[in-house]
Amino acid sequence: MSAAADTKEQVAALGEKYKYGFVTDIEMERAPKGLSEDTVKFISAKKGEPEWMLDWRLGAFRRWSEMTEPNWARVHYPKIDYQDAYYYAAPKAPEKKLSLDEVDPKLLETYAKLGIPLSEQKMLAGVAVDAVFDSVSVATTFKAKLNEAGVIFCPMSEAIRDYPDMVRKYLGTVVPVSDNFFATLNSAVFSDGTFVYVPKGVRCPMELSTYFRINASNTGQFERTLIIADEGSYVSYLEGCTAPMRDENQLHAAVVELVALEGAEIKYSTVQNWYPGDENGKGGIYNFVTKRGDCRGARSKISWTQVETGSAITWKYPSCILRGDDTVGEFYSIAIANHYQQADTGTKMIHLGKNTRSRIISKGISAGKAQNTYRGLVSVHPKAVNARNYTQCDSLLIGGKCGAHTVPYIESRNSSARIEHEATTSKIAEDQLFYCLQRGISQDEAVSLIVNGFCREVLQQLPMEFAVEAQKLVGISLEGSVG
Amino acid sequence: MNAALPSREARRAEALESFRVRGMPHRRFEHWKYSDLRAVLDAGQVAQSGTAAWQVEKLPEGVELFDLGKLDAPELVMRNLGAIGAKPTMKEASLAFADGGVALRVPRGRKIAEPVTLHISSTGNVRLLAVLEEESSLTLMESHTGDAGLLRNVGVEIALGTQARLSHVRFAASAPKSITIEHIGVAEARGAQYRAHFANFGSRLSRTELHILLQEEDAEAHLSGVNVLGDEGHADLTSHIEHVAGNTRSTQLFKKVAGGHSRAVYQGKITVREGANGSDSRQTAKALLLGGRAEADLKPELVIFADDVKCAHGAAVGDLDPESLFYLRSRGVPEAEARHMLIRAFLEDAVAEIENEELRASVWHAVEHALPHAVRVSP
Repeated sequence: MSAAADTKEQVAALGEKYKYGFVTDIEMERAPKGLSEDTVKFISAKKGEPEWMLDWRLGAFRRWSEMTEPNWARVHYPKIDYQDAYYYAAPKAPEKKLSLDEVDPKLLETYAKLGIPLSEQKMLAGVAVDAVFDSVSVATTFKAKLNEAGVIFCPMSEAIRDYPDMVRKYLGTVVPVSDNFFATLNSAVFSDGTFVYVPKGVRCPMELSTYFRINASNTGQFERTLIIADEGSYVSYLEGCTAPMRDENQLHAAVVELVALEGAEIKYSTVQNWYPGDENGKGGIYNFVTKRGDCRGARSKISWTQVETGSAITWKYPSCILRGDDTVGEFYSIAIANHYQQADTGTKMIHLGKNTRSRIISKGISAGKAQNTYRGLVSVHPKAVNARNYTQCDSLLIGGKCGAHTVPYIESRNSSARIEHEATTSKIAEDQLFYCLQRGISQDEAVSLIVNGFCREVLQQLPMEFAVEAQKLVGISLEGSVG
Repeated sequence: MNAALPSREARRAEALESFRVRGMPHRRFEHWKYSDLRAVLDAGQVAQSGTAAWQVEKLPEGVELFDLGKLDAPELVMRNLGAIGAKPTMKEASLAFADGGVALRVPRGRKIAEPVTLHISSTGNVRLLAVLEEESSLTLMESHTGDAGLLRNVGVEIALGTQARLSHVRFAASAPKSITIEHIGVAEARGAQYRAHFANFGSRLSRTELHILLQEEDAEAHLSGVNVLGDEGHADLTSHIEHVAGNTRSTQLFKKVAGGHSRAVYQGKITVREGANGSDSRQTAKALLLGGRAEADLKPELVIFADDVKCAHGAAVGDLDPESLFYLRSRGVPEAEARHMLIRAFLEDAVAEIENEELRASVWHAVEHALPHAVRVSP
């Protein structure tokens, strides 16, 4: 019994554990406050965008003006005043840096505090980093290798300039401009993001990562990511969001679009650790993200893996449209909510093609006064002969003040489809804790062990570099002994 | 005539206003996503459908029956009218538009062995109220037949006193021309038990909705049901069980066979309120799709605000297992017979939940009768 009480205390003691919440004082360039056609034009002009892009943004803005904010998710927050925010903020760094010495030392300090010094990051074998600060040393190291393979990996603004045809062909085809309130907002004001194109038959020689860029550039509130894997290609993309937030604006509304053509495979991994607010629920990021992958060609595969530990509110449903025959969609998720955090996350698997398969493994952990919801849809359309789905969503509750909710939708319109869904909700078993304690394992370690065991199936899906970080995060978020 | 009268009229006026304001449910209401009532019926038709007739055959000794149309029920019974469970719009409509219905009361300590059978076969709105006092028990068979078209809208309320026990079997024959709506509100005191089985063979649009409140410790609810749908049938079972108090238990087991163009829907929501520790809840919903154009929609939902709970749900949709079919055929069982055998096996455990042997047999009989219709259309 004291075991449970201790756990609660530890969880409560986690208040100041968010070590990334510092602010670096760098001169910023902002768009005027508020959102209007002028703001959209300002952003587009800042980016030096072509006419068609501006039109696209303005179209989105007009749609957005007529939309209402969704309220179906199990999250509660004060009404957002969209006019009381900045929609563009970038560090004033107009000239290209030729070497690290020219980078603002304060920024380098920030990197150091984050524990990812550039020099070390450079040596992280196999991870190419899209660094907006153009520190030649980093960017070029991998660019050469990627170029050799024909892989395009660049900021979205650069792609709009250099590969307009490709961007026009694919942008907004997976998440349409007016898909939902937040995606439409993003379409109007997205500041930057990442563009990836992997050519036919190419296996991307390294894991691509945006770790740096989001940390450094501070354009990260409305990113737009577009990844295209051409026929028979493979790419693994890592997105790390352990970031200091330097903006007053707490809203983060990103859109990610994945397109997998025939036989291609995209693996997309996220470790999200935005500032979750303090232990009284004050502050924190509203993370309203639209992520969707389209298995457009036959035999393609898209796999989402996410570890969601941060943000005051998470509203996120990475989905797969299994359009081609024999396509595969996967969703592996760990969502941890502590204190007053609210997470409403899940996935959609839309089976359109024949012999399509999907797998959903979701692990939700709630502690403190947090609310954690899994919301998912498995939909089998009439032509999806022999579609298969397996879903497992488990919830773990720590303490009697939190909530764990499961809302799965299962819709089948094909008699040859087979769908299975299982869900359980439980607390950390006293007998498991007792077993560990009795063998001399400390309370802290025991909780960490049990929670990590609970998440194991998902952690295994993460690339090595992230798996280590994710395991640590699980510890930080819940145990209080790490970090 | 009695003290409850004015309050009853006030409650009906309130219900009418509530129905007017909220209007007909449609698919943009998340809870009505799979049963678009507004598409097949308008509010005027609900009002015009009047009051449905009911009939109770052979009332067992010890059960008191009151005709809600005659307003002769004691205050003890009447105070429950329109007061149990949620007040969804169609239930409010049944209260507002039904000038009749039936109230049953089982006095304290009376255990009634013989089932009470309630027949409803006409169209219109009707109310049913069952009050089981402390330590009493009853088996209630609610039988829906007839396919006169348009709407049958039933509002049911059940109050179970301490340790009271109700076995409820709702049987709905196939009615491809009719729209049948029923809302059942159940409030349970300590140690009470509500067992219910829903055998539904489909209507043009059929919706059975439950809202069960396990208000005190050791209250239990055990729901089960089968659908066998052929051609154009639709059957939606939507349940919401709230574990208000701790150490309460609920189980649900639903099996659905959908052939032809039919649609089988299950939406089951479990809420465990804060502090309701020791709640134990299990939900299973499985659908067998036989028709090439049949559809199954399952949504087992958990909303949990307490940590010391055991909650699990499982759902599955699929076709008959080809290996089992092969096994039977390899032993000389003709395909049609093998398929029947496997479907019966699929439904078996849900039907077995019916405690009363006679009622169980009658449900099996109806299943046997309905199966050829569901299987007939080849994929």
